[in-house]
Amino acid sequence: MLRRGGLNAGASDLLAARRRGSRRLALAVAAGISILAMLGRNSDPAAKPLPSTVTVGAAIALTGNANLYGQDQRMGLSLARDWFTTTPHARPVQLQLEDGASDEPSAIAAFNLLIRRGVIGLIGPTLSQQAFAADPIAQRQGVPVVAPSNTAKGIPQIGSFISRVSAQSSVIAPLSLDEALQRNPKINRVAVFFAQDDAYSTAETAIFQRALAERGLTPVSLQRTQLADNDFQNPITAALQQQPDLVVISAQAVDGGNLIRQLGELGYRGQIVVGNGLNTPNIYPICQRWCDGVLIAQAYSPDLNTPINQTFRRLFQNANGNRTPGQITAQAWSAYQVLFEALQRLQQRGGLEGVSLGEARRLLMQEVLTGHYDTPLGPIHFKPDGEVVQGRFYVAEVTMQANGRDGRFRLVRSIDVNTGAGSQQP
Amino acid sequence: MTEALLQILLNGAASGGVYALVALGYTLIFSVLGVINFAQGALFSLGGYLTFLLMGGRIGVNGALPGWHLPLALPFWLALLLAAAGAGLAALLVERVAFAPLRRRGAEPLLSLITSLGAGVVLVNLLQILMGAEGYAFPAGATALAGLPEALLLGGARIRTVQLLLLLISALAVAALTLWLERSRTGQAMRAVAEDPTAARLVGINSAAMVRLAFLISGMLAGLGGGLIGMSVSLAGPYFGISYGLKGLAVLVLGGLGSVPGAIAGGLLMGLAEALIPSEASGWRDALAFAVLFAVLVLRPSGLLGRRQLEKV
Repeated sequence: MLRRGGLNAGASDLLAARRRGSRRLALAVAAGISILAMLGRNSDPAAKPLPSTVTVGAAIALTGNANLYGQDQRMGLSLARDWFTTTPHARPVQLQLEDGASDEPSAIAAFNLLIRRGVIGLIGPTLSQQAFAADPIAQRQGVPVVAPSNTAKGIPQIGSFISRVSAQSSVIAPLSLDEALQRNPKINRVAVFFAQDDAYSTAETAIFQRALAERGLTPVSLQRTQLADNDFQNPITAALQQQPDLVVISAQAVDGGNLIRQLGELGYRGQIVVGNGLNTPNIYPICQRWCDGVLIAQAYSPDLNTPINQTFRRLFQNANGNRTPGQITAQAWSAYQVLFEALQRLQQRGGLEGVSLGEARRLLMQEVLTGHYDTPLGPIHFKPDGEVVQGRFYVAEVTMQANGRDGRFRLVRSIDVNTGAGSQQP
Repeated sequence: MTEALLQILLNGAASGGVYALVALGYTLIFSVLGVINFAQGALFSLGGYLTFLLMGGRIGVNGALPGWHLPLALPFWLALLLAAAGAGLAALLVERVAFAPLRRRGAEPLLSLITSLGAGVVLVNLLQILMGAEGYAFPAGATALAGLPEALLLGGARIRTVQLLLLLISALAVAALTLWLERSRTGQAMRAVAEDPTAARLVGINSAAMVRLAFLISGMLAGLGGGLIGMSVSLAGPYFGISYGLKGLAVLVLGGLGSVPGAIAGGLLMGLAEALIPSEASGWRDALAFAVLFAVLVLRPSGLLGRRQLEKV
């Protein structure tokens, strides 16, 4: 008989040693996971008490193709922050800007970063396409989002913590078509261009095409472009062969601006109607004198004669050398104003005393949805699902200066959507 | 029918000429070093912005120095040439920062893809910090072409005058470069380095100088392209060169890596392939262009005019 320690005995020892090793490893992994979970819970800002100064985070496109809008939004947010801190308020608020770039992963990363840093609410992201990716992150973590410029269908329906101050394009877009048809009732050949790789533009062109069909017009040419396109010789010459008397464009500022310019250079002289993507003064240097006469429906008019809009316009002009603010900047201001005023109301009622950040976020969302706000856009409030309710919209015509390098959105019509009444501007 | 065909040819040639110009920059560096300079698109953007500033353009409100401008306003053609030279110098800097250190350490050439990509990203971000994100129109854009109509009708086909000029200048630049490579002593020395760097060194050619010269010329080509495109379609933000850079890269592969005639043929073929897409299927334009690339590479892995690589054992 072999002594213990022989070949077989050694194998069983080895097996036992392996089992012991596996048990130890399993214990170590379980302990590690528990420690990580505890650390994670301790570091979850939502569980911590609300700090005395609360932070609102903004994830906007400071880089990438959409940064033209992001720059406008940064201006609106900075002006709003400075304006609302000029007088002492019940609860100090600070603004933290984060670059959400122009793509979905960057917007998600920016939202995650701001939420981890313990913001009480979020403003952004810049593009609707980004919102569909990033908003569910905020929704899962119970962080209120006020979208300043997401006008695609279905944004507030992402979840109960998502709202927007930017009216849905289906409400606004057809107004500019009506203006074009009123100017020229003989219009019957329409060419439609849209950026097919942009969620917002594809949604908006569907709205435009439905509105055209409702008015008895069928597009004679449907051209798909891309956001990164610069040269539109091919689609334009194809469309112009159909001799359109109205061109409808759903694109973003840079590609849309270039498209307008090249339409003009290639000889198109008819009416152009554009969508919300071109709703920024940044198009002027791109399409230059060819912008002149372009019709656009807007959720904001610099000519609105209310004290808050006059303040906004004055502050903007002080910072920008007498330029006129655009819709994107006004909506960014309004998004900040909504969160700021809701926070102050909550504070005054004592609703923020002794609560955790997570609870404060939940209370803030309720307050956002129940409040009424007098913003540069006009009076707004929210439906229970977070959709903005705005009473008045505008149709503007781009009017360029003689040098062809700067211009303004001249108000031609304002429409009360509740009554349907419109008033023509001189 | 003839008009439609002519329109397609003109559209294709107008886009293809620019693609060829961008691809040539890649070709020069690839033939000498066997690597691809991913900063080429950023140099393209730089050329556009330099042309704008040299023409007296002012920095916009989102830039680092709002309202600032150079104390001069050069005519477009002079500004374009100086901007090309500036982009060439920037390319030399890219070579010094992103390529030379790796070469000195004998690193895997593939690594320079990442370092050049990094250099390109830095360059584009610097442009954004300095100039802001807004679009710019050339200050004397219209006067530079004064006297010429905005579009020309050629046999019933319509083309913007600026695009026709762009095509002509691209053709001139390509012809000049080809002549220089074929006929001049320095051009022949560069071809010798591209052919066999060791043998070139043995016959007394300064390879390092040829590498720098290749970067200088490729940067100038990118700068020239950027200035011309800026004139044609405005400067649409600091990222506008990147898409041209990517298309140029596809043309480089299509024409044959390192082949100058291949870059020209590839550029024109790519432009024509895009122009051939009917308007109803315009959404498939890029897909079809790259399908052409795929088909050519399946049939001829070395590209249209590239030479087959022989494995020396």
